[in-house]
Amino acid sequence: MRRLLVMGVVLALGGSLAAVTPPTIKYSDTKLKNGLRLIVAEDHVAPVFSIAVVYNVGSRNEREGRTGFAHLFEHMMFRGSENVGVGEHFYTIFSNGGTMNGTTDKERTLYFETMPANQLEAGMFLEADRMRSLAITKESLDNQRNAVQEERRSRLDDQPYGHTFEAIDEQAIDNPAYKHSVIGSMNDLNAASVDDVASFFRTYYAPNNAIIAVTGDVTTSHVQELARKYFEPVPAQPAPPKVDIAQAPQTAERRLSLDDALARVPRLDISYRIPSSLSPDDDSIRVLALVLGSGRSSRFYETIVRQKQLASSASAFAPDSRGPRLFQIGATPIPGKSLEDLEAAIYAEIERVKTGPIENWEIEKARNTARRQFVGGLQSSLNRAIDLAEYALMYDNPGEINTRYLRLDKLNAAAIQRVAKQYLTPENRSVVITRPKAAAGRGGLQ
Amino acid sequence: MRTYRTSIVALAVLALSAMLAAQGQMPPQPQSPTKGLVRKGKVPVSNEILKTKLPTPAEVDLPNGAHLMVLEDHRLPQVSFQIFISGAGGYYDPPDNAGLASFTASLMREGTTTRTSEQISQRLEVMAASLSVGASVAATEATVSGGSLSEQFPALIEMAADVVLHPSFPEEELARFKQRTRVSLTQVRANPGFLAQEMFQRVVYGDHPGSRLLATIPSLDKTTRDSLVEFHRTHYVPDHAAIAISGDISMAEARTLIESRFAAWKKAGTTPAPVTDPAPISGSKIYFIARPNSVQTNLIVGGQAIERTNPDYDTLQVMNKVLGGGPTGRLFIHLREEKGYTYGIGSSINAPMHRGEWSASTSVRTDVTEPALHDLLAEIAQMRDQPVSDEELADAKRAMIANFALSLETPSQLLNYYVTRWRYHLPADYWDRYAERISAVGKDQAQAVARKYLAAERLQIVAVGDPTKVGDVLKKLGSVETYDADGKRIGSN
Repeated sequence: MRRLLVMGVVLALGGSLAAVTPPTIKYSDTKLKNGLRLIVAEDHVAPVFSIAVVYNVGSRNEREGRTGFAHLFEHMMFRGSENVGVGEHFYTIFSNGGTMNGTTDKERTLYFETMPANQLEAGMFLEADRMRSLAITKESLDNQRNAVQEERRSRLDDQPYGHTFEAIDEQAIDNPAYKHSVIGSMNDLNAASVDDVASFFRTYYAPNNAIIAVTGDVTTSHVQELARKYFEPVPAQPAPPKVDIAQAPQTAERRLSLDDALARVPRLDISYRIPSSLSPDDDSIRVLALVLGSGRSSRFYETIVRQKQLASSASAFAPDSRGPRLFQIGATPIPGKSLEDLEAAIYAEIERVKTGPIENWEIEKARNTARRQFVGGLQSSLNRAIDLAEYALMYDNPGEINTRYLRLDKLNAAAIQRVAKQYLTPENRSVVITRPKAAAGRGGLQ
Repeated sequence: MRTYRTSIVALAVLALSAMLAAQGQMPPQPQSPTKGLVRKGKVPVSNEILKTKLPTPAEVDLPNGAHLMVLEDHRLPQVSFQIFISGAGGYYDPPDNAGLASFTASLMREGTTTRTSEQISQRLEVMAASLSVGASVAATEATVSGGSLSEQFPALIEMAADVVLHPSFPEEELARFKQRTRVSLTQVRANPGFLAQEMFQRVVYGDHPGSRLLATIPSLDKTTRDSLVEFHRTHYVPDHAAIAISGDISMAEARTLIESRFAAWKKAGTTPAPVTDPAPISGSKIYFIARPNSVQTNLIVGGQAIERTNPDYDTLQVMNKVLGGGPTGRLFIHLREEKGYTYGIGSSINAPMHRGEWSASTSVRTDVTEPALHDLLAEIAQMRDQPVSDEELADAKRAMIANFALSLETPSQLLNYYVTRWRYHLPADYWDRYAERISAVGKDQAQAVARKYLAAERLQIVAVGDPTKVGDVLKKLGSVETYDADGKRIGSN
């Protein structure tokens, strides 16, 4: 089998250990006349290609009274365009051996497909036709409004802690663009109109507001030629309004208690406001989350779950955001142990990170984890396409794919302790406690 | 950007699943899906199916009985492995201690004669290597699996061998494990999809081990260190094991590594008891789980079908692809894209060593439970009563054959095809002839398997939902057995 791009040099590392330098992804990065950014990373290891189309629109762009609209709109993108019938987009891809999906978060809306190499033109045609000529009908809107409302029910309203997950952001964030959930409220979904769909399409689904990445068994020149043929006729639009990401600093702890009729076990969620993913502190914050709460060797797991046996699980993570962002901790107490003791134990671990040493192995774990994630992510053309397109959106730099893990080599314990001291403070914290609401006819643990 | 996200389709539809009309009670006259799918036929697709050739692994039988398979692939500096240990799965649990195999597997990582639980976790995570041992409560085998960058792979295999050969099952780790697991076994009962699937397995498999979905808390409570030690001693034997390794490694390197690290894993001379089929279930029934405060109804319809080596396997897969195999299936196009009853719906086949099951599953908002169940049953009936169109059949077959190219990106996925071939004693050219076999399926055969395996009298209906709104809807279909969310029967009519 052929190697993926450049296979690295084997370096001897004191005796038997040898570190292999991972490959580097090479790519072209150009713009069509209408402003569509096109990134192509060609390789020929498997007869497969992937396309990722990222539109710079997510729930952060929603106006008041229309929460959930970006995601509802995503569903409309599968309901046909000038040359493609209702459902024909996904039917064509799957029935020719491919896979596809679409996904929305606060930052962006992403559409993607992976197909056998001989279907490149079909993939490019399908993405371009809907970018150019989406069919917008009341019937489709009503149909997908139903599907999205079922999605909300099955993910949130019919699940334990569903409302907790919405309450975390609503309590901790004041900025209206970032405060509400991606899935949105039932009332707002009901209010969405055909006019809303048309105007959203015009404003946000313009080529100059999108990035397309194509990876895998293609030639760069062929992809560029197909892009000019199918995408260049789509007219550019005025730039969308900028999102206001400002909010006043938090000055005091916030607390909320929820009763959950579907839960059987209590749950504790603690979040701290942190700077956006574009901040120079981002690397330190990601490693801090890993030291505290990722994996069984993390401090939360080892101390709170294993040694003190206060919780059955405890983890920490910091989802990316270009605006308001949270460092999130979630824990499930062991029955009979108090939530107060669990909360205190979490704060004790946070203080220990700030003052005590951070071991060399903890930093080595972070570096090796990032390196393995990088290598593992290169295996699939789809991962490569999504990473290139998302890094282009987030950092204006697709090359982040190659350098992200390397930056951790320069990171030290002092930098991690500094961000812990700066952001993980009581006045910057929001706490949500969820307790099962007693209901007849089922057991539970308090 | 890995924030909370939401997707157009749930590709991994939970294998929840929903029965068939007590014979003749439902008048199944569905419209063919039309509004949900309009084909303009203007997309410039290539009509050729890309020819792909699968690389083949090197294979050797080791002296201790284990079968070693290596798929060498140097595209990336990483290696992954899986060890399948036949006879160590929950299928072989003592009847009064269901879950023992899964507890044994989980606790093997919690300490060896020379390493503590903490040392194992820390070493693996510093290497950024993964290592897990698992055995589901119905499976016939346990699986040890993991992966790492190439440079760490020898150290990972050394750890894996330690965990497989020398677990110490410390008492204090067992106590901790019981506490954590009690919480997760309690928590899972809050999930309506779990409740539906648990009931479905129970009614389709009866007393057979296939009826089990998770261990129970009473079985967890009675588990002792001695029972773990004994299960490990008698079941973790290499005689019928397969070791599958893929990635940046050669057969020679892999063999040297395995033979040196697993040198103490000796042939035991035992063979697991033969696997038996579940007893056939006579007649279809409706089972309702009352879950107060539900805003949706989870539905599963299905019944016993086939074992993996059954000659109907390929035909059943093609038929299932047309009916509910993903977003191109009739169920998705009709119940979601046309009617908007649900976010996700699909059907699937589980075909293990013994007779397994076919099922369709979905979750719908409470107030459309009746029309959604009606349409689901009508789609199943139509599959039995009418042949599929030439176009649908061709599309389903092309989807299955052309999709093979995608697996060429992932060596571990490729190797799994060969593991399946080995495990079920399939012919050496089984995968080389896959396209040929799928192409040969005709619409009469597809309808014949639908008539046989989707026959109304085979199918069981399970529903989970709000008792005040759903109970009466189900009664219209026939007699209903009602349970609470803890699985206790609370009524029937």
